[in-house]
Amino acid sequence: MAPVVQCMGLTKTYGRKIALNQINLNLERGRIIGLLGPNGSGKTTLIKIMNGLLKPTAGEVLINGQRPGVDTKLRISYLPERTYLQPGMKVLELVQYFQDFYPDFRVDRAFDMLARLQIPPQERLKNLSKGTKEKVQLIMVMSRDADLYILDEPIAGVDPAARDYILHTIVNNYNRCGSILVSTHLISDVENILDEVVFIKYGSIVLHAGAEQIRRNERKSVDQFFREVFAC
Amino acid sequence: MLGKLMKYEWKATWKLLLSANILTVVMTGLARCMVYLMGQTGHSDFRMVDFMAVMVLFTYVGSMFAVCIGTTIYLIHRFYTSTYGDQGYLLHTLPVDTHHIIIAKVLVSSAWVIINMVSIYLSVIFLLATSSEIFHSMMEGMVDMIEYLGAERISAFTVIMTLIAFIFSIFAKVLKVGACISLGQLSPNHKLLLSFAWYVGIYVVEQMLQSIYFVVTIYFQEKISHSDYWNYGSYFDRQWETALLAGIISCVVYYVLTWYVMGRKLNLD
Repeated sequence: MAPVVQCMGLTKTYGRKIALNQINLNLERGRIIGLLGPNGSGKTTLIKIMNGLLKPTAGEVLINGQRPGVDTKLRISYLPERTYLQPGMKVLELVQYFQDFYPDFRVDRAFDMLARLQIPPQERLKNLSKGTKEKVQLIMVMSRDADLYILDEPIAGVDPAARDYILHTIVNNYNRCGSILVSTHLISDVENILDEVVFIKYGSIVLHAGAEQIRRNERKSVDQFFREVFAC
Repeated sequence: MLGKLMKYEWKATWKLLLSANILTVVMTGLARCMVYLMGQTGHSDFRMVDFMAVMVLFTYVGSMFAVCIGTTIYLIHRFYTSTYGDQGYLLHTLPVDTHHIIIAKVLVSSAWVIINMVSIYLSVIFLLATSSEIFHSMMEGMVDMIEYLGAERISAFTVIMTLIAFIFSIFAKVLKVGACISLGQLSPNHKLLLSFAWYVGIYVVEQMLQSIYFVVTIYFQEKISHSDYWNYGSYFDRQWETALLAGIISCVVYYVLTWYVMGRKLNLD
Protein backbone atom coordinates (compact mmCIF):
# COMPACT_ATOMS: atom_id res chain seq x y z
CA MET A 1 0.00 0.00 0.00
CA ALA A 2 1.29 3.46 -0.90
CA PRO A 3 2.41 5.76 1.93
CA VAL A 4 -0.29 8.05 3.27
CA VAL A 5 1.93 11.09 2.56
CA GLN A 6 4.54 11.45 -0.17
CA CYS A 7 6.51 14.68 -0.53
CA MET A 8 8.73 14.97 -3.58
CA GLY A 9 11.12 17.89 -3.89
CA LEU A 10 8.63 20.07 -2.04
CA THR A 11 9.75 23.69 -1.98
CA LYS A 12 8.02 26.82 -0.75
CA THR A 13 9.46 30.30 -0.93
CA TYR A 14 8.11 33.67 0.21
CA GLY A 15 9.96 36.15 -1.95
CA ARG A 16 13.62 35.42 -1.25
CA LYS A 17 12.90 33.54 1.97
CA ILE A 18 12.92 29.76 1.66
CA ALA A 19 10.34 28.21 3.96
CA LEU A 20 10.69 24.64 2.67
CA ASN A 21 13.70 23.40 0.77
CA GLN A 22 13.44 20.28 -1.41
CA ILE A 23 11.52 18.16 1.10
CA ASN A 24 11.41 14.45 0.30
CA LEU A 25 9.36 12.55 2.84
CA ASN A 26 7.19 9.42 2.98
CA LEU A 27 4.87 8.79 5.93
CA GLU A 28 3.49 5.28 6.41
CA ARG A 29 0.04 4.26 7.63
CA GLY A 30 -0.89 3.37 11.19
CA ARG A 31 1.87 5.45 12.77
CA ILE A 32 1.98 8.43 15.13
CA ILE A 33 4.60 10.76 13.74
CA GLY A 34 6.04 13.82 15.44
CA LEU A 35 6.97 16.72 13.18
CA LEU A 36 9.48 18.39 15.44
CA GLY A 37 11.33 21.61 14.98
CA PRO A 38 11.81 25.03 16.52
CA ASN A 39 9.56 27.98 15.72
CA GLY A 40 9.93 29.09 12.11
CA SER A 41 11.43 25.82 10.93
CA GLY A 42 8.69 25.19 8.34
CA LYS A 43 6.37 22.79 10.21
CA THR A 44 3.20 24.79 9.65
CA THR A 45 4.09 25.56 6.04
CA LEU A 46 4.50 21.83 5.32
CA ILE A 47 1.20 21.06 7.05
CA LYS A 48 -0.66 23.79 5.18
CA ILE A 49 0.59 22.48 1.85
CA MET A 50 -0.64 18.98 2.77
CA ASN A 51 -4.05 20.47 3.49
CA GLY A 52 -4.19 22.53 0.31
CA LEU A 53 -4.12 25.84 2.19
CA LEU A 54 -0.83 26.81 0.57
CA LYS A 55 0.45 26.09 -2.92
CA PRO A 56 4.04 24.85 -3.19
CA THR A 57 6.53 26.82 -5.27
CA ALA A 58 8.01 23.57 -6.62
CA GLY A 59 7.65 19.83 -6.12
CA GLU A 60 4.49 18.12 -5.03
CA VAL A 61 2.78 16.37 -2.16
CA LEU A 62 0.51 13.36 -2.54
CA ILE A 63 -2.00 12.22 0.07
CA ASN A 64 -3.17 8.64 -0.56
CA GLY A 65 -1.51 9.02 -3.95
CA GLN A 66 -3.53 12.14 -4.86
CA ARG A 67 -2.73 15.84 -4.99
CA PRO A 68 -4.52 17.97 -2.34
CA GLY A 69 -8.12 18.44 -3.40
CA VAL A 70 -11.67 17.44 -2.55
CA ASP A 71 -10.80 13.73 -2.29
CA THR A 72 -7.82 14.23 0.03
CA LYS A 73 -9.81 16.62 2.23
CA LEU A 74 -12.32 13.82 2.73
CA ARG A 75 -9.54 11.71 4.23
CA ILE A 76 -7.57 14.30 6.26
CA SER A 77 -8.69 15.57 9.64
CA TYR A 78 -6.86 18.80 10.32
CA LEU A 79 -6.41 20.75 13.54
CA PRO A 80 -4.84 24.14 12.79
CA GLU A 81 -2.84 26.14 15.29
CA ARG A 82 -5.59 28.76 15.48
CA THR A 83 -9.31 28.78 16.26
CA TYR A 84 -11.32 28.52 13.08
CA LEU A 85 -14.76 28.36 14.65
CA GLN A 86 -17.59 30.80 14.04
CA PRO A 87 -18.12 32.47 17.42
CA GLY A 88 -21.89 32.75 17.03
CA MET A 89 -22.33 29.01 16.50
CA LYS A 90 -23.57 26.67 19.22
CA VAL A 91 -21.54 23.53 19.99
CA LEU A 92 -24.46 21.44 18.72
CA GLU A 93 -24.52 23.37 15.43
CA LEU A 94 -20.81 22.75 15.05
CA VAL A 95 -21.37 19.01 15.49
CA GLN A 96 -24.10 19.16 12.82
CA TYR A 97 -21.76 21.15 10.57
CA PHE A 98 -19.06 18.47 10.75
CA GLN A 99 -21.65 15.73 10.33
CA ASP A 100 -23.01 17.46 7.20
CA PHE A 101 -19.65 17.80 5.47
CA TYR A 102 -17.64 14.77 6.62
CA PRO A 103 -19.14 11.33 6.01
CA ASP A 104 -16.61 9.79 8.44
CA PHE A 105 -17.67 12.01 11.35
CA ARG A 106 -18.89 10.01 14.38
CA VAL A 107 -21.56 12.01 16.22
CA ASP A 108 -21.75 9.63 19.17
CA ARG A 109 -18.00 9.90 19.71
CA ALA A 110 -18.19 13.70 19.63
CA PHE A 111 -21.05 13.86 22.13
CA ASP A 112 -19.30 11.36 24.37
CA MET A 113 -16.15 13.50 24.50
CA LEU A 114 -18.17 16.70 25.00
CA ALA A 115 -20.07 15.08 27.88
CA ARG A 116 -16.84 14.01 29.56
CA LEU A 117 -15.67 17.61 29.50
CA GLN A 118 -19.11 18.80 30.61
CA ILE A 119 -19.43 21.11 27.61
CA PRO A 120 -23.15 21.79 27.06
CA PRO A 121 -24.13 21.30 23.38
CA GLN A 122 -26.41 24.35 23.58
CA GLU A 123 -23.55 26.65 24.62
CA ARG A 124 -22.37 29.22 22.09
CA LEU A 125 -18.70 29.02 21.17
CA LYS A 126 -18.16 32.70 21.96
CA ASN A 127 -19.10 31.99 25.59
CA LEU A 128 -16.42 29.33 25.99
CA SER A 129 -12.91 30.01 27.26
CA LYS A 130 -10.01 29.87 24.78
CA GLY A 131 -8.87 26.54 26.20
CA THR A 132 -12.35 25.01 25.97
CA LYS A 133 -12.71 26.22 22.38
CA GLU A 134 -9.46 24.47 21.53
CA LYS A 135 -10.74 21.30 23.16
CA VAL A 136 -14.01 21.51 21.21
CA GLN A 137 -12.01 21.90 18.02
CA LEU A 138 -9.88 18.89 18.92
CA ILE A 139 -13.00 16.85 19.69
CA MET A 140 -14.39 17.66 16.23
CA VAL A 141 -11.14 16.63 14.57
CA MET A 142 -10.73 13.40 16.55
CA SER A 143 -14.36 12.39 16.03
CA ARG A 144 -13.58 11.57 12.42
CA ASP A 145 -12.37 8.21 11.11
CA ALA A 146 -9.75 9.78 8.89
CA ASP A 147 -6.75 8.25 7.10
CA LEU A 148 -4.54 11.08 8.31
CA TYR A 149 -4.89 13.37 11.32
CA ILE A 150 -2.74 16.46 11.04
CA LEU A 151 -2.47 18.30 14.34
CA ASP A 152 -0.57 21.57 14.29
CA GLU A 153 0.77 22.51 17.72
CA PRO A 154 -2.15 20.93 19.63
CA ILE A 155 -0.56 21.42 23.04
CA ALA A 156 1.04 24.83 22.61
CA GLY A 157 -0.22 27.46 25.03
CA VAL A 158 -2.24 25.16 27.29
CA ASP A 159 -1.63 24.18 30.90
CA PRO A 160 -0.12 20.74 31.76
CA ALA A 161 -3.49 19.28 32.81
CA ALA A 162 -5.02 20.30 29.49
CA ARG A 163 -2.01 18.82 27.67
CA ASP A 164 -2.68 15.47 29.30
CA TYR A 165 -6.32 15.63 28.27
CA ILE A 166 -5.40 16.53 24.69
CA LEU A 167 -2.85 13.73 24.34
CA HIS A 168 -5.23 11.26 25.96
CA THR A 169 -7.98 12.31 23.50
CA ILE A 170 -5.66 11.93 20.53
CA VAL A 171 -4.35 8.50 21.49
CA ASN A 172 -7.74 7.05 22.41
CA ASN A 173 -9.86 8.31 19.56
CA TYR A 174 -7.95 8.09 16.31
CA ASN A 175 -8.70 5.61 13.55
CA ARG A 176 -6.15 2.82 14.12
CA CYS A 177 -5.73 2.29 10.38
CA GLY A 178 -4.83 5.95 9.95
CA SER A 179 -1.75 7.98 10.83
CA ILE A 180 -1.29 10.99 13.03
CA LEU A 181 1.13 13.77 12.16
CA VAL A 182 1.58 15.99 15.18
CA SER A 183 3.72 19.09 14.99
CA THR A 184 5.20 20.55 18.13
CA HIS A 185 8.28 21.96 19.74
CA LEU A 186 7.24 20.63 23.17
CA ILE A 187 8.92 17.26 22.71
CA SER A 188 8.93 15.93 26.26
CA ASP A 189 5.12 16.07 26.44
CA VAL A 190 4.50 14.08 23.26
CA GLU A 191 7.56 11.84 23.19
CA ASN A 192 5.84 8.85 24.75
CA ILE A 193 3.10 8.59 22.17
CA LEU A 194 5.31 8.91 19.08
CA ASP A 195 6.27 6.01 16.80
CA GLU A 196 8.39 8.13 14.47
CA VAL A 197 9.93 11.57 14.50
CA VAL A 198 10.78 13.98 11.71
CA PHE A 199 13.20 16.76 12.61
CA ILE A 200 12.84 19.85 10.48
CA LYS A 201 15.30 22.75 10.53
CA TYR A 202 15.39 25.84 8.30
CA GLY A 203 12.91 24.21 5.95
CA SER A 204 14.89 20.99 5.48
CA ILE A 205 14.37 17.52 6.93
CA VAL A 206 17.42 16.71 9.04
CA LEU A 207 16.21 13.40 10.47
CA HIS A 208 13.41 10.89 9.94
CA ALA A 209 13.68 7.92 12.29
CA GLY A 210 11.75 5.77 14.74
CA ALA A 211 11.45 7.16 18.27
CA GLU A 212 12.59 3.89 19.75
CA GLN A 213 15.51 3.74 17.32
CA ILE A 214 16.73 7.16 18.55
CA ARG A 215 16.44 6.12 22.18
CA ARG A 216 18.33 2.88 21.46
CA ASN A 217 21.06 4.25 19.19
CA GLU A 218 21.65 7.61 20.88
CA ARG A 219 21.00 6.36 24.42
CA LYS A 220 18.98 9.44 25.19
CA SER A 221 15.39 10.57 25.01
CA VAL A 222 14.02 12.17 21.85
CA ASP A 223 13.74 15.42 23.79
CA GLN A 224 17.43 15.35 24.75
CA PHE A 225 18.46 14.42 21.23
CA PHE A 226 16.27 17.23 19.84
CA ARG A 227 17.99 19.76 22.12
CA GLU A 228 21.35 18.52 20.86
CA VAL A 229 20.43 18.74 17.19
CA PHE A 230 18.79 22.14 17.52
CA ALA A 231 21.27 23.67 19.97
CA CYS A 232 21.80 27.36 19.21
CA MET B 1 -22.46 20.19 -1.10
CA LEU B 2 -23.55 23.52 -2.64
CA GLY B 3 -26.86 23.34 -0.78
CA LYS B 4 -25.09 22.70 2.53
CA LEU B 5 -22.67 25.55 1.99
CA MET B 6 -25.56 27.89 1.20
CA LYS B 7 -27.45 26.70 4.28
CA TYR B 8 -24.53 27.50 6.58
CA GLU B 9 -23.78 30.78 4.82
CA TRP B 10 -27.40 31.79 5.33
CA LYS B 11 -27.33 30.66 8.96
CA ALA B 12 -24.18 32.71 9.60
CA THR B 13 -25.67 35.91 8.17
CA TRP B 14 -29.40 35.93 8.74
CA LYS B 15 -29.51 37.18 12.32
CA LEU B 16 -27.69 40.46 11.80
CA LEU B 17 -29.12 41.17 8.38
CA LEU B 18 -32.66 40.34 9.43
CA SER B 19 -32.18 42.73 12.37
CA ALA B 20 -31.25 45.44 9.87
CA ASN B 21 -34.47 44.79 7.97
CA ILE B 22 -36.49 44.83 11.19
CA LEU B 23 -34.91 48.21 11.93
CA THR B 24 -36.16 49.38 8.53
CA VAL B 25 -39.70 48.26 9.40
CA VAL B 26 -39.61 49.89 12.85
CA MET B 27 -38.23 53.17 11.51
CA THR B 28 -40.83 53.17 8.73
CA GLY B 29 -43.61 52.71 11.30
CA LEU B 30 -42.23 55.51 13.49
CA ALA B 31 -41.77 57.85 10.54
CA ARG B 32 -45.28 57.15 9.32
CA CYS B 33 -46.72 57.93 12.76
CA MET B 34 -44.83 61.19 12.85
CA VAL B 35 -45.96 62.19 9.36
CA TYR B 36 -49.53 61.44 10.45
CA LEU B 37 -49.15 63.55 13.62
CA MET B 38 -47.68 66.41 11.60
CA GLY B 39 -50.71 66.27 9.31
CA GLN B 40 -53.03 66.48 12.31
CA THR B 41 -51.42 69.57 13.82
CA GLY B 42 -51.55 71.60 10.60
CA HIS B 43 -48.93 73.96 9.26
CA SER B 44 -49.83 77.17 11.07
CA ASP B 45 -47.47 76.92 14.02
CA PHE B 46 -44.35 74.90 14.71
CA ARG B 47 -44.82 72.83 17.86
CA MET B 48 -42.96 70.17 19.80
CA VAL B 49 -44.58 67.36 17.84
CA ASP B 50 -43.35 68.92 14.59
CA PHE B 51 -39.83 69.11 15.96
CA MET B 52 -39.99 65.46 16.98
CA ALA B 53 -41.38 64.46 13.60
CA VAL B 54 -38.54 66.22 11.80
CA MET B 55 -36.02 64.48 14.06
CA VAL B 56 -37.63 61.08 13.48
CA LEU B 57 -37.65 61.65 9.71
CA PHE B 58 -33.96 62.57 9.80
CA THR B 59 -33.29 59.43 11.84
CA TYR B 60 -35.35 57.43 9.34
CA VAL B 61 -33.28 58.66 6.39
CA GLY B 62 -30.07 58.06 8.38
CA SER B 63 -31.13 54.54 9.33
CA MET B 64 -31.90 53.68 5.69
CA PHE B 65 -28.38 54.75 4.73
CA ALA B 66 -26.98 52.86 7.73
CA VAL B 67 -28.83 49.68 6.71
CA CYS B 68 -27.51 49.94 3.13
CA ILE B 69 -23.91 50.73 4.09
CA GLY B 70 -23.92 48.42 7.12
CA THR B 71 -25.13 45.47 5.06
CA THR B 72 -22.46 46.09 2.43
CA ILE B 73 -19.67 46.36 5.02
CA TYR B 74 -20.92 43.30 6.88
CA LEU B 75 -21.06 41.18 3.72
CA ILE B 76 -17.54 42.28 2.72
CA HIS B 77 -16.25 41.53 6.23
CA ARG B 78 -18.01 38.17 6.22
CA PHE B 79 -16.49 37.23 2.86
CA TYR B 80 -13.01 38.21 4.02
CA THR B 81 -13.04 36.52 7.44
CA SER B 82 -14.77 33.34 6.34
CA THR B 83 -12.64 32.90 3.22
CA TYR B 84 -9.20 34.31 3.96
CA GLY B 85 -9.32 34.86 7.74
CA ASP B 86 -9.16 32.24 10.50
CA GLN B 87 -12.48 30.69 9.46
CA GLY B 88 -10.96 30.09 6.03
CA TYR B 89 -8.97 27.26 7.61
CA LEU B 90 -12.21 25.37 8.11
CA LEU B 91 -13.82 26.43 4.82
CA HIS B 92 -10.86 25.45 2.66
CA THR B 93 -10.38 22.09 4.37
CA LEU B 94 -13.99 21.07 3.76
CA PRO B 95 -14.31 18.44 1.03
CA VAL B 96 -16.04 20.87 -1.32
CA ASP B 97 -15.22 22.26 -4.72
CA THR B 98 -13.93 25.85 -4.97
CA HIS B 99 -16.73 26.61 -7.46
CA HIS B 100 -19.32 25.66 -4.84
CA ILE B 101 -17.71 27.93 -2.25
CA ILE B 102 -17.82 30.93 -4.59
CA ILE B 103 -21.35 30.24 -5.86
CA ALA B 104 -22.72 29.77 -2.33
CA LYS B 105 -21.22 33.05 -1.14
CA VAL B 106 -22.36 35.00 -4.21
CA LEU B 107 -25.93 33.68 -4.13
CA VAL B 108 -26.45 34.31 -0.41
CA SER B 109 -24.82 37.78 -0.46
CA SER B 110 -26.80 38.76 -3.57
CA ALA B 111 -30.01 37.53 -1.93
CA TRP B 112 -29.37 39.83 1.03
CA VAL B 113 -28.58 42.79 -1.21
CA ILE B 114 -31.89 42.25 -3.06
CA ILE B 115 -33.86 41.75 0.19
CA ASN B 116 -32.44 44.98 1.59
CA MET B 117 -33.14 46.88 -1.60
CA VAL B 118 -36.74 45.66 -1.75
CA SER B 119 -37.35 46.40 1.94
CA ILE B 120 -36.05 49.96 1.56
CA TYR B 121 -38.11 50.57 -1.61
CA LEU B 122 -41.22 49.21 0.12
CA SER B 123 -40.49 51.36 3.15
CA VAL B 124 -40.31 54.53 1.06
CA ILE B 125 -43.49 53.63 -0.86
CA PHE B 126 -45.26 52.87 2.42
CA LEU B 127 -44.17 56.20 3.89
CA LEU B 128 -45.29 58.13 0.83
CA ALA B 129 -48.64 56.33 0.97
CA THR B 130 -49.41 58.26 4.17
CA SER B 131 -49.53 61.42 2.16
CA SER B 132 -52.52 60.88 -0.10
CA GLU B 133 -51.51 63.68 -2.49
CA ILE B 134 -48.01 62.36 -3.10
CA PHE B 135 -49.24 58.77 -3.27
CA HIS B 136 -51.99 59.57 -5.77
CA SER B 137 -49.55 61.50 -7.94
CA MET B 138 -47.10 58.62 -7.74
CA MET B 139 -49.74 56.04 -8.67
CA GLU B 140 -50.98 58.19 -11.55
CA GLY B 141 -47.43 58.58 -12.76
CA MET B 142 -46.91 54.81 -12.65
CA VAL B 143 -50.15 54.13 -14.54
CA ASP B 144 -49.14 56.71 -17.18
CA MET B 145 -45.71 55.12 -17.46
CA ILE B 146 -47.14 51.61 -17.89
CA GLU B 147 -49.62 52.84 -20.54
CA TYR B 148 -46.86 54.72 -22.32
CA LEU B 149 -44.50 51.77 -22.31
CA GLY B 150 -47.35 49.54 -23.55
CA ALA B 151 -48.06 51.95 -26.37
CA GLU B 152 -44.40 51.85 -27.29
CA ARG B 153 -44.61 48.04 -27.66
CA ILE B 154 -42.43 47.24 -24.66
CA SER B 155 -43.28 43.63 -24.08
CA ALA B 156 -43.41 41.63 -20.86
CA PHE B 157 -40.37 39.85 -22.23
CA THR B 158 -38.40 43.11 -22.20
CA VAL B 159 -39.47 43.84 -18.62
CA ILE B 160 -38.46 40.33 -17.49
CA MET B 161 -35.13 40.56 -19.29
CA THR B 162 -34.50 43.97 -17.69
CA LEU B 163 -35.08 42.39 -14.28
CA ILE B 164 -32.71 39.53 -15.14
CA ALA B 165 -30.10 42.06 -16.26
CA PHE B 166 -30.57 43.86 -12.93
CA ILE B 167 -30.03 40.62 -10.98
CA PHE B 168 -26.88 39.89 -13.00
CA SER B 169 -25.61 43.40 -12.18
CA ILE B 170 -25.98 42.55 -8.47
CA PHE B 171 -24.12 39.26 -8.94
CA ALA B 172 -21.40 41.21 -10.75
CA LYS B 173 -21.08 43.74 -7.90
CA VAL B 174 -20.79 40.97 -5.29
CA LEU B 175 -18.30 39.05 -7.42
CA LYS B 176 -16.27 42.22 -8.01
CA VAL B 177 -15.77 42.63 -4.25
CA GLY B 178 -14.88 38.93 -3.96
CA ALA B 179 -12.41 39.20 -6.83
CA CYS B 180 -10.72 42.29 -5.35
CA ILE B 181 -10.39 40.67 -1.90
CA SER B 182 -9.02 37.53 -3.57
CA LEU B 183 -6.55 39.44 -5.73
CA GLY B 184 -5.36 41.25 -2.59
CA GLN B 185 -4.31 37.86 -1.23
CA LEU B 186 -1.57 37.71 -3.86
CA SER B 187 0.39 40.26 -1.84
CA PRO B 188 2.54 38.69 0.88
CA ASN B 189 2.22 41.61 3.29
CA HIS B 190 -0.38 44.24 2.40
CA LYS B 191 -3.38 42.14 1.45
CA LEU B 192 -6.14 44.59 2.41
CA LEU B 193 -4.34 47.54 0.84
CA LEU B 194 -3.86 45.62 -2.41
CA SER B 195 -7.54 44.58 -2.36
CA PHE B 196 -8.55 48.23 -2.10
CA ALA B 197 -6.11 49.18 -4.87
CA TRP B 198 -7.60 46.48 -7.11
CA TYR B 199 -11.10 47.79 -6.40
CA VAL B 200 -10.13 51.35 -7.31
CA GLY B 201 -8.33 50.14 -10.44
CA ILE B 202 -11.24 48.01 -11.61
CA TYR B 203 -13.69 50.85 -10.85
CA VAL B 204 -11.67 53.27 -13.01
CA VAL B 205 -11.53 50.77 -15.90
CA GLU B 206 -15.29 50.14 -15.61
CA GLN B 207 -16.02 53.89 -15.69
CA MET B 208 -13.82 54.33 -18.73
CA LEU B 209 -15.54 51.50 -20.60
CA GLN B 210 -18.94 52.89 -19.60
CA SER B 211 -18.02 56.37 -20.85
CA ILE B 212 -16.83 54.97 -24.18
CA TYR B 213 -20.09 53.03 -24.49
CA PHE B 214 -22.20 56.14 -23.80
CA VAL B 215 -20.31 58.27 -26.29
CA VAL B 216 -20.71 55.62 -29.00
CA THR B 217 -24.40 55.09 -28.12
CA ILE B 218 -25.20 58.82 -28.22
CA TYR B 219 -23.44 59.14 -31.56
CA PHE B 220 -25.50 56.33 -33.10
CA GLN B 221 -28.73 57.45 -31.40
CA GLU B 222 -28.45 60.85 -33.00
CA LYS B 223 -28.15 59.18 -36.37
CA ILE B 224 -31.09 56.86 -35.72
CA SER B 225 -33.32 59.57 -34.24
CA HIS B 226 -33.26 61.38 -37.58
CA SER B 227 -34.69 58.32 -39.29
CA ASP B 228 -38.32 57.13 -39.13
CA TYR B 229 -37.59 54.00 -37.13
CA TRP B 230 -36.86 55.57 -33.74
CA ASN B 231 -39.11 54.38 -30.91
CA TYR B 232 -38.77 53.73 -27.22
CA GLY B 233 -39.48 50.02 -27.67
CA SER B 234 -36.32 49.45 -29.63
CA TYR B 235 -34.44 51.79 -27.27
CA PHE B 236 -35.42 49.71 -24.19
CA ASP B 237 -34.62 46.51 -26.06
CA ARG B 238 -31.11 47.75 -26.65
CA GLN B 239 -30.78 48.82 -23.01
CA TRP B 240 -31.54 45.45 -21.47
CA GLU B 241 -29.46 43.64 -24.04
CA THR B 242 -26.45 45.82 -23.26
CA ALA B 243 -27.01 45.67 -19.49
CA LEU B 244 -27.38 41.88 -19.55
CA LEU B 245 -24.32 41.45 -21.72
CA ALA B 246 -22.26 43.76 -19.48
CA GLY B 247 -23.54 41.92 -16.37
CA ILE B 248 -22.70 38.48 -17.76
CA ILE B 249 -19.24 39.53 -18.96
CA SER B 250 -18.50 41.16 -15.57
CA CYS B 251 -19.72 38.06 -13.71
CA VAL B 252 -17.53 35.77 -15.82
CA VAL B 253 -14.41 37.96 -15.46
CA TYR B 254 -14.77 38.45 -11.68
CA TYR B 255 -15.72 34.81 -11.12
CA VAL B 256 -12.67 33.54 -13.00
CA LEU B 257 -10.39 35.91 -11.06
CA THR B 258 -11.84 34.79 -7.71
CA TRP B 259 -11.65 31.12 -8.68
CA TYR B 260 -8.08 31.51 -9.95
CA VAL B 261 -6.83 32.90 -6.64
CA MET B 262 -8.94 30.65 -4.41
CA GLY B 263 -8.31 27.49 -6.37
CA ARG B 264 -4.82 27.94 -7.77
CA LYS B 265 -3.03 30.56 -5.67
CA LEU B 266 -4.47 30.07 -2.18
CA ASN B 267 -1.96 31.19 0.44
CA LEU B 268 -3.55 31.39 3.88
CA ASP B 269 -1.27 33.09 6.39
